[in-house]
Amino acid sequence: MDKELVDFALNYAADKEVEYAEVRAQNDKSEGLVMKNGVLDAYFSAVDSGFCVRILAEGGIGFASTNRWNKEEAKKIVEIAYKLAKMAMRRDKISFAKEKSVKVKWKVDERKKIEDISPEERIETFAEMDKELTSQGISVPGRMFSSGTSLSEKYFINTEGSVISSYVPRVSAYGFITVVENGKSEQAYKQFGYAGGWEALDQWKLTEQMIYEARVLQGVIREAKAVKPGKMDLVCGPEVTGIAAHESCGHPMEADRILGREMSQAGMSFIYPHGHFWLGTKIGSPLVTIIDDPTIKNSYGYYEYDDEGIKARPRYLYKNGVINEFLHNRESAAKLNTRSNGSSRTISYDREAIVRMANTFVEAGDIEEEELFEDVKQGVYMKSFTEWNIDDKRFNQRYVGREAYWIENGKLKHRIARPVIETSTQIFWSAVDAVSKKVEYDAATCGKGDPQQGIPVYTGGPAIRLKGVHVK
Amino acid sequence: MNETLATTEKIAKKAKALGADEVIARTVASRNRQVRFSNNQIDTSLAWNYYVTDVVLSWKKRVVATQIPDFQKIDEHLKRLFELAKVSKENPMHGGFAKGKFNYQKSKADRTANDLEKPTEPIFEAIEAAKKEAGPLTTAGGIFLTSVADIYQVSSEGSMGEDCRSAVEFSIRAFSGKEASGHAVECSSTLKGFDAARAGRKAGEIAKKAKNPKLGLEGKYDVVFDPLFAGSLLSMWGSMASAYSVMVQMSIFVDKVGNKVASDLVTLRDVPAAYSVSNRIFDDEGVPAQENVIINKGALKTYLHNTSTAKIFKTQTTGNAGIISPGPWNIEMDPGDMVKEELFNEVKRGLYLTNTWYTRFQNYKTGDFSTIPRDGIFLIENGEIKESWKSIRLSDNASRMLNAIAGISKERHHIHWWTEADPPSLSPYILMKDVQITRPK
Repeated sequence: MDKELVDFALNYAADKEVEYAEVRAQNDKSEGLVMKNGVLDAYFSAVDSGFCVRILAEGGIGFASTNRWNKEEAKKIVEIAYKLAKMAMRRDKISFAKEKSVKVKWKVDERKKIEDISPEERIETFAEMDKELTSQGISVPGRMFSSGTSLSEKYFINTEGSVISSYVPRVSAYGFITVVENGKSEQAYKQFGYAGGWEALDQWKLTEQMIYEARVLQGVIREAKAVKPGKMDLVCGPEVTGIAAHESCGHPMEADRILGREMSQAGMSFIYPHGHFWLGTKIGSPLVTIIDDPTIKNSYGYYEYDDEGIKARPRYLYKNGVINEFLHNRESAAKLNTRSNGSSRTISYDREAIVRMANTFVEAGDIEEEELFEDVKQGVYMKSFTEWNIDDKRFNQRYVGREAYWIENGKLKHRIARPVIETSTQIFWSAVDAVSKKVEYDAATCGKGDPQQGIPVYTGGPAIRLKGVHVK
Repeated sequence: MNETLATTEKIAKKAKALGADEVIARTVASRNRQVRFSNNQIDTSLAWNYYVTDVVLSWKKRVVATQIPDFQKIDEHLKRLFELAKVSKENPMHGGFAKGKFNYQKSKADRTANDLEKPTEPIFEAIEAAKKEAGPLTTAGGIFLTSVADIYQVSSEGSMGEDCRSAVEFSIRAFSGKEASGHAVECSSTLKGFDAARAGRKAGEIAKKAKNPKLGLEGKYDVVFDPLFAGSLLSMWGSMASAYSVMVQMSIFVDKVGNKVASDLVTLRDVPAAYSVSNRIFDDEGVPAQENVIINKGALKTYLHNTSTAKIFKTQTTGNAGIISPGPWNIEMDPGDMVKEELFNEVKRGLYLTNTWYTRFQNYKTGDFSTIPRDGIFLIENGEIKESWKSIRLSDNASRMLNAIAGISKERHHIHWWTEADPPSLSPYILMKDVQITRPK
C-alpha cells in the first residue's frame, strides 16, 4: 500500500475549501473456494486495492474512489469528491460530531497464519467434510459449500490529524444442504465467521455441525408433527434469540435509519423523533438487555476503531427493557447532538462508511438453560430457524423453526415441523420472562446500503423464554 | 485493435503459454455515479471508478480464477494462478469454456449516461412531482445511479469481443405520513426518454392513497400485484431457472423441464435487451447473449445454462454464463390481453400490493416462503380501492403462486431496485388467486 500517495491525496484535498476530508485506503487479499455436491467448482485468489476520498464542503458530502494508484488519479478523485460535495446545496447543512483525533496501529493476530494454509489443505477440509456428510446414511442430494479468507489492511487519515493503520484477517464458511426422504425435503444453511487465523476451523467443528444439521432435517421429515396454533410459552435457542436481537433491536437502533437516511431502500425504524418510541421508552421486559459490541475478541464483527477513526466500545441498545442508546456515526451523532459511538463501517474502499452493527446479542441471565423448560406446561422449543423476515420499520417480524420440539410439563417431547412466531418487536421482547446463562454466537452477513454492503457480524444470546405468545 | 482489448488478449495468451488448457480474460473499466437523497435533500454523492481484469483458467479440469487490478503485476498474478491450478482439485463436471468465434451485435449502450451536468435536477423534479400528488408535506428519499462499463473479453477458445453496458436507475420512496408511503422506480439503459418525475408521480400517487392505514386481516385474497412487486416475483422465479440453482436444489423447477409449472397464461423469457439496465451482447464465456423462453404457456422449456451445466443436462448453453453459475439477465413476462382496470374489476374482495421486501424461504425446493408487502397495501372491493392496510405478510408457495396467475396486463414496466427486484425484469400487473396473507399476533 502506497501510504505516501494516500497522504498526498489528503493534502491535495485539504488545500481546497473543505470543512473536513478523509482518505481511506484498503488492500484486501482474498482466497476462496466453491464446492457443489462434492465437486470443487472453482478456487479463486485475488487482491483488491484502492482508496477513497470523502469530503465535507458547504454542508454537503462528496465521495470518490479508485483502484488506480497514481497521483493523477488521486487528484482526479479529490476533484470529483469536492465537486460532488458542493453539488448538494443542502438546506440543512451536514456537520460531523466533534471527536478527538487519534494516531494508532491495531491488528488482529492469527494463531495459525492464513497465508501458511495451502490451497490443498483448504480444499481437502471441505472435500473431507462432504465425504463424511454423505456417508451417514442420510440422503443429502443438494450440498453447496463456500469458504473464504480475507486479509484486510486499512490506512485511514483525516484533516483532523487522525492516522490509523489496521490489519484484520477473517475466515468464513457457508453451507447449504437439502435432505430428501420419501419424496419430502428439508433444507438448512449454516454460516461461520471469525476474525483471526485458520484456528477458526478447530473451533467451528464444521463436519460435526453439518452432520448434526442433516440429522435434524432427517428427523423433521420422519418424525415432526404440526403444532396446534395458539398461545403458549416459547423457548428460543441462542440462534433464534440472536436473529431477533439483530433484526428487532440492532437495526431499528441505527441512527441513520431513525433519521430517515435509509428511507428508500433499507427503510426506517419504528423509533423516530417525536414518535411513540424514543430513548427512555420501554420496549421489553426488564430482563432484556441487548448489547452491540465490536470488541469481542475474534468475533466476526470485530474492530478496534471504526471507519471514521472512532474507538469502538460496547453499546447498550436496549437496557433492562428500555431503549437506551442508538448506533451512531459522526453525521447522525451531530444531528442528534451527541457523540459517535464508533458504529461507522464499510466493506471496501469504494463504498461509503455508514452506521452498522458489529456483534449484537442479548446479555446473559442467571439461570441454567434446562431451568427454562421446567415451568412450561405446554409450549415449543425453537432451537434454530429457517425462514425469517421483518418489515422495514423493524416491528413486524417472523421466525420459522428449523429444529424445534414440543414441550410438555417441562420435558421435551416430539419434534415440531416448522413452527412459526409472527409478532411485533414490542410483544416479542415484552414476553421474555426468563433468560439463561450461556451466550452463544452465530456469524452472519448483515445487508444495508445502496450499493449493498454485506458486512460481517455476530448475532447471539442465551436461550430465552417468552411467556404466552402466539405460535402456529 | 483497441489497446485495452489488446492487453486483455495478451493476458489470455500469457496464461495459455504458461500451460493453461483454456483461459478467459475479461477487463472491465466501469465508471459509476450515484446521488443518494432523503427527507427531500441530497445526503451524499458518490463516484467510483474500477479497472480490473478477471482471469479464469482451467488446467486438467481444475478451474481457478483471479483478478488483476489495472493491469498491474500481470506476470506475477498469472504465475500464482497457474500454481493454484496445479494444486487445485479436478472438477469432473467442468465441461470446458464455449468454443468458437462469434459474431456480436453492436452494443446500444448510452455512453453519455454519466454525463449529466446536474444529476440532482431529476431528483428534485421527482420530489416535486411526488409532493404535487401527495401534498406539500410529503418527504421522499432514494437513489439516482448512472453507470457505464466497457468490457473487453478474450477467450483462448476463439471468442473475442468488446461490449459497453450502461444503466440509469432512479428509485424514489415518498412518505405522506409515517406509515403511508409509495415507492416507484425509473430504470433504463439510456438517458433518452428517462423521466425521474414519472417515478415521483407514481410514488406520490400511492403515498396519497396509503394514508391512514388500518391493520390488515389474515386470509386468502385475490391479489393484483403492481409491476414493482411483480418484479420481485419474476426475479425469484427467474433465478430458480438457473441450472446451478437446480443442481443445489434451490429451485422449485428441479426435474420439471417439459412439465407444467405455471398457469397457461404465463410465458417467461430471459431477454438481455438493449433497454435493460442489465444489457449485454455476450455472456461470461463469450457466447452471444440471447433470448430464451423459460416457461412457454405454463410449461417449463429450459433451465438457463453455461457450457458446463449444459453438458451435464445434455443440452446447449443458453448464453447465460457465469463461469460457475449461470443466471438470468433480464426476465420478461409476456403481456396479457387485459388492461390494468380489467384486472382490478376481476377482484370482488382482494388486495392491490404495490411493493415488497425481505423475501425468505423455508424451502427453495418446495417453494415455501414469505415476503413483506410494503408501501401501498390496498383492500379492493368490487374492483375499487376501498382502504389502505398495513402490517401484513404474504406467506405462500412460489410454485402454487405461478399456477394461480389469473390475469396479466398488457402494460409492462422495466423494474430493478436494490436486491429486492434483482435481476431486472419487464413486469406487468399480475392478478393472482387465493394468495395467503398473514399478520403478526
